[in-house]
Amino acid sequence: MAISLEGILFVFIGVFVGTFIGLMPGLGPISAIAIMIPMTYNMDPTIALVMMAGVYYGAIFGGSTSSILLNAPGVAGTVATSFDGYPMAQQGKAGKALAIAAIAAFIGGTVSVVFLMLFAPVLSSVAIQFGPPEYFALMLLGLTAIASLSSGSTIKALMSALLGIMVVTIGIDAQTGTVRFTFGSANLLEGIDFLVIALGIFALAEVCALIINRQKTTFNAKTIGSLKITKEDFKEMVGPMSRQSVLGFIIGVLPGAGATIASFIGYTTEKRFAKNPDEFGKGSIKGLTAPETANNAATSGAFVPLLSLGIPGSGTTAVMLGALLVLNVQPGPLLMTENPTLFWGVIMSMYIGNIFLLILNLPLIPYISKILAIPRPMLISLVVVFCIIGVYSISFSIFDLYVLLAFGVIGYLMRMFQFPAAPFILAFILGGMLEQSFRQAMTISGNDVSIFISNPLSATLLALAAVSFLFPLWQSYRKKKKNNQSLSM
Amino acid sequence: MKKLVSVSASSFLTLVMLSACSDNGSEEAASSDQGEWSPTNNLEFVAPAGAGGGWDTTARMAAQAFEEAGIVDVGIGVINREGGGGAVGWSYIANQAGDPHYLFAASPPLLLIPLNGQSEYSYEDFTPIANVIADFGAFAVRDDAPWQDLNELFEDMQDESSSITVVGESAPGSMDHVQFVNIAKAAGVDPGSITYVSAQDGSAMTNLLNGSVDVYSTGVTETIEQVRAGEVRVLAVTAEERLEGDTVEDYPTAIEQGIDEVFVNWRGFFGPPDMTEAEVEYYVNAFTELNESEEWDAVRERYSWDEYFMVGEEYKQFLEEQNEEMRLLLEELDLYGESE
Repeated sequence: MAISLEGILFVFIGVFVGTFIGLMPGLGPISAIAIMIPMTYNMDPTIALVMMAGVYYGAIFGGSTSSILLNAPGVAGTVATSFDGYPMAQQGKAGKALAIAAIAAFIGGTVSVVFLMLFAPVLSSVAIQFGPPEYFALMLLGLTAIASLSSGSTIKALMSALLGIMVVTIGIDAQTGTVRFTFGSANLLEGIDFLVIALGIFALAEVCALIINRQKTTFNAKTIGSLKITKEDFKEMVGPMSRQSVLGFIIGVLPGAGATIASFIGYTTEKRFAKNPDEFGKGSIKGLTAPETANNAATSGAFVPLLSLGIPGSGTTAVMLGALLVLNVQPGPLLMTENPTLFWGVIMSMYIGNIFLLILNLPLIPYISKILAIPRPMLISLVVVFCIIGVYSISFSIFDLYVLLAFGVIGYLMRMFQFPAAPFILAFILGGMLEQSFRQAMTISGNDVSIFISNPLSATLLALAAVSFLFPLWQSYRKKKKNNQSLSM
Repeated sequence: MKKLVSVSASSFLTLVMLSACSDNGSEEAASSDQGEWSPTNNLEFVAPAGAGGGWDTTARMAAQAFEEAGIVDVGIGVINREGGGGAVGWSYIANQAGDPHYLFAASPPLLLIPLNGQSEYSYEDFTPIANVIADFGAFAVRDDAPWQDLNELFEDMQDESSSITVVGESAPGSMDHVQFVNIAKAAGVDPGSITYVSAQDGSAMTNLLNGSVDVYSTGVTETIEQVRAGEVRVLAVTAEERLEGDTVEDYPTAIEQGIDEVFVNWRGFFGPPDMTEAEVEYYVNAFTELNESEEWDAVRERYSWDEYFMVGEEYKQFLEEQNEEMRLLLEELDLYGESE
C-alpha cells in the first residue's frame, strides 16, 4: 500500500521529479515516465504506479511556474495558466500568482481524487459512451468559446482561430494517410508539436515585443510582492475552484481529452460566466485559478478509464499502462476486484502527493520568483535559451527550432496587429480532434450526417454548442438595438 | 548484382557478408575491410519514434540486455528520433552512412511507410543486422457481436450492403489496417471494400465497446483484459500456431479456421548504409549472443514477445518477401505511392 513508508517515499520522488520536469519546458511527463520505466522493474506494481502518477500530476502542478514568471509554459497543460498568471507577475504580484496557482492546483488535484474514489466505475461507463459523433459535438462546443477569448474584434478572433485550424492540419492525415501542407519536408509529417507553437507564440513573441518596443516594455516586475492571499482574493478563487474541480475532472475522464483541453475549457467557461470578463487576460485571479484547478483535476480524471476499464485515455496513461503490463499487472475491467491494493494505493498516494506538492511548491516561491529580479537583458536571453532548450529536447530536431522562431515572429505580428493569440491556440488544440472525430463519424455512418443528431448525447451537445454560439450574438444584437433606440430618441 | 566476396570459416558468416554486400550496393566497402571490427565509440540505438512505443521498448530493452549480459564493451545510448511515422529517424540514420556505431529498431512500418510514399528511404537503403522478436495481431469484436468465428465475419463483409467497420490505432496503410486486410483478402474479401477507421488518439477500444465500430484490429496483449472481463471476444490471431499463455491460448488462429494466411509483427535492428562485412559480422555475433542470453530471455518473457531470430540472407529474403506482399496489398488499397 501507498501508506507504507516506502510508498510515501516513492510518492515524494515522483512528485519531486514531476515538479522539476514541469519547470523545464520541453521534457514532458510522457518522456519522463518512459525513461523511468526500467527503474520500476523490480518494484512492487503499486509503488511503481504511484511514482509514475506522481511524475504526471507533479509536472502539471509545477508547469505553472514558468508560465507565470516567463510566459513560457513548462508543459502543454499549463499554457492557459500564462493568460492571467503572466500579466499578474508583470504587475509585481508574482508571489501571489504562484501562491494562487499552487492552491488552485492543490484543490483541483485533491477534490478530483475524491471524485475518482467515489465515482470511477459510474463515470467510466458514461465516458465509454463517447464515440466519434460525441467527440465532434464536444469539440465544437469547446470552439464556440472562441468569441469569448477575444478582448477586441470578434472578426480578428475568428481569423486567428482559423489560422489555428489550418496549422493543425499540417502532417499526415490520420484517416487517409494523405500528406498535407508539408512542402515535401519529412520534419512536418507528424505535424507541429503544440509546445513549439505555444513557446513561440507566447514566450518568443513577448521577447520580440520587449526588444522592439523598448518603451512599451512589460518586464518591469522587479518586485514579487507578497505571497499573501487576502480574504477578498480567496473569495474570488472559491467559485472557479469549485466549478473547475468538477469540470476539469469530467474532461479528464474522457479518453483523448486531457489536462490541456481541460485547462482551456476551464478558462473560457469562467470567462463567460464572469461578471467582469474584461479583467480576464489582464491578471484576473479567476482567470488564473480556473485553468490551474481544471488541469490538475483532469490528471486524476485521466486515471478513471485506466483504472476502471484498462483503457488509457491519454498519452501519459498509455505509457503507464505499458509499464504496468511489464510488471504483470494488466489494468482492465477486473482490476478493481482482482487487485484492489493497486486501485486504492493510487488513490491514497494522490492525496499524499498533492500535499507534498503544496509543501514543496509554496516555500520555493520567494526563491524561484527571484528570477524576475535578474536584469532585463539577461532575463530576455534566459527566456530565449529556455525556449530553445525546451523545444530541442522535445524531438532533438533543429528544424523545430526554426518552427519556434517562425511562430515567435507570427506571434509578434499578431500582437502588433492586435490579433488575439488565445483563439489560435484553442483552435489548434481542439481542431485536430474536431476534424478527426468528424471524419471518423462520417466513415462509420457511410457519409450520412444524421449520425450526429440520431443519438441523444451528441444531439444534446450540438444543441448546447448552437446556444453557446448564438447567445452572445443575440446579446450584442439586443445591445445594439437598445443603443439605436436611445440614439433615435 | 549479388557477388560473393570472400570465403569464410562458416557458411553462416558467408551469408552475412553476402547480405551486407548486396544490401549496400557498395562492393568496395565490403572488400576493402577484411579484418575484425569492434566499436571504438559508444553505440547509439535509435528508436525512430517517441518514448514508450514498440520501437522504443525494443531498443531500450536490447541496449539494457546487451550491457547486463556484458556482450558489448562500450556504452549504448538509446535516443528517440520521432516524426513522420519513422521517416525522420530513418533519414537521420541514412546521414550516418559509413559510421557503424548507429543502429535502429525496425518493424513492418519500415516497409509500409516507404511503400505509402511517405519516406524517401526504404529498408533497402539500410543494412539489415538481425531480427530478434515478433508479436502478432488479434481481431476483436464485442461479446454480443453476431459473429462467432472469422468466417462468419468475412461472409458478412462480402455482402455488398455490409456496413461493418474496422478500427485500429495506426494510420491507413500501416500495421493494424494491413494485418486485417491481409487476412481478409485471403478469405476472399475485397480489400477495397473494407471500411477502416483510424483512431490514433487511443480511442479504438472505447469505440469498439460503445458500438461505434464492429471490429478492432490490434495487438494480442491489448485484448487480454477485456476478454477476461467478458467484454470482447477475439475471433482470430494472425500467428501460425496458437500462442502460449492464459487467455491467449484460447484465441484461434486464422489458419485453423481455414484461412491460410499469417501476419507477423517482426522486430529487428538495422544499421546505416555502407557497412563493411566486418562490422556486420560483429553485430551478427553480438545479436546471436544476445538472443541466447538469459537476460534477453527474461525480457522476452516480460513482454510476451516470441523469439523470431533471423540474420544474414535469411533475414534479407524474409524482408524482400514481406515487402512484395505489402506492396501488393497497398496497391489494392490504393495507398501505394512511390516516393521519388
